[in-house]
Amino acid sequence: MIKLSNSYLLSLLSKLLIILVLTKALSLALLWYLPSDGVELSVQENYKPKYQRVDFKNMIHNAKVVAQKTPTNTAVSVNITNMILKGLYGNKSRGFVIVARKATPKVTTIVGVGEEYLGFKLKSILSNGAVFTKAGKEYILELDKLKLQKSFINKVEKKSSSTSVKNVSRNDIAYYAKNPTKIWKEISIQPLKNGRKLKGFKVTRVLRGSKMAELGLEKNDVIIRANNIELTSLKSVNDLYSNMNNINAIELVVLRNNQEKELVYEIN
Amino acid sequence: MVKKLAVFFGFVLFFLLSLMYFTPKENIYFALENELKKYDVIISNESVSDNGFTLSLSDAELFFKSIKSADIKEIDIKIFGLYNAVNIYDVKLSKSASSFLPLNIQKVTITHSIFNPLNVKIYELGDDGELEGSFNLLEMALHIIFEPSELMLEKYKNSMREFKKSEDGSYSYDKTF
Repeated sequence: MIKLSNSYLLSLLSKLLIILVLTKALSLALLWYLPSDGVELSVQENYKPKYQRVDFKNMIHNAKVVAQKTPTNTAVSVNITNMILKGLYGNKSRGFVIVARKATPKVTTIVGVGEEYLGFKLKSILSNGAVFTKAGKEYILELDKLKLQKSFINKVEKKSSSTSVKNVSRNDIAYYAKNPTKIWKEISIQPLKNGRKLKGFKVTRVLRGSKMAELGLEKNDVIIRANNIELTSLKSVNDLYSNMNNINAIELVVLRNNQEKELVYEIN
Repeated sequence: MVKKLAVFFGFVLFFLLSLMYFTPKENIYFALENELKKYDVIISNESVSDNGFTLSLSDAELFFKSIKSADIKEIDIKIFGLYNAVNIYDVKLSKSASSFLPLNIQKVTITHSIFNPLNVKIYELGDDGELEGSFNLLEMALHIIFEPSELMLEKYKNSMREFKKSEDGSYSYDKTF
């Protein structure tokens, strides 16, 4: 009779088992030094509001034009004599107006629909004025035409001196997107770093007479912001580029001679 | 003697196979991810599964400098010591690359064998054409032979300028790191 303990098979099995235990122990030892979690992308959210270009000039201008052309057609035509309507925004039931007393025209108050001013409740907003109610009666306050026109002109003059609005064709954008090498023939832009941190993008060369030169960028400009997004990563630039078809305007903020300058482009 | 040697090699083989089986491949992959992060490369949102001797990743998103660069359907990683391979299937590059390359890649294979220890072989098949290359680990030199597709030749002439056209009509690219 052969003893089981002497069998070759048992000896082989026990050796294989020892190898298995040994390799398992080695893998467990290796596991001790290895990370237990992988790397996932964590994107820092940009809480800044989305850039929107609002043309107040047109809004006020339109209101002014309507005020001149459209006669008041409501049943009540009583004016509030001691108040001036300086501005309005909104439609019939939503929005606000800017009002002041005739005695102190520079002290303005913003009144929303449903709110009261000097005992008058703002009921609704018309194209050329606002309807107030008091003691069951309705009063219409029309836009202060003369003063509005004056302030409008002043504002436009001031704006044109501080920013430049240029028109950019969507076809041009599509052309340069398809031929990126053309861009780099006309302009050179280098990332500007402070240590490892990206500060912005420096314009190192602009070809005279080129489309890129028409954009108003100059040599040594540092582009630091676009549409309220800080250009501190390639991702922010890529996000802007990916979203190019959905935006109608680009606002670039550049550092020129250590001063911020705003360049605005309307995409048509 | 021969029998003893055969038994010894048998045990060695069994040891290697069991080591491969028990090796925490997922954790090794996580360590690799941490290394790639140093170069701003992140593989995100992938499902990792240990298949015993191989590791599979599916539905991965590849980011470079936090910019999404590609969607990858499947990655198979085989680490056998003597022969190691990474097979990448069904890659869709980010739309922002559409100015430079066709966006679909069917297969990418990266292999390293003990029989050619100084070179890592690269193979790629996609809408751009067929690419074969090698990376010399000693000289840190990349050599690529590229057979572009008609689409690549017609629509991506700017990218083709990066390649050198040889007399036999093939395109090559060399870079030393």
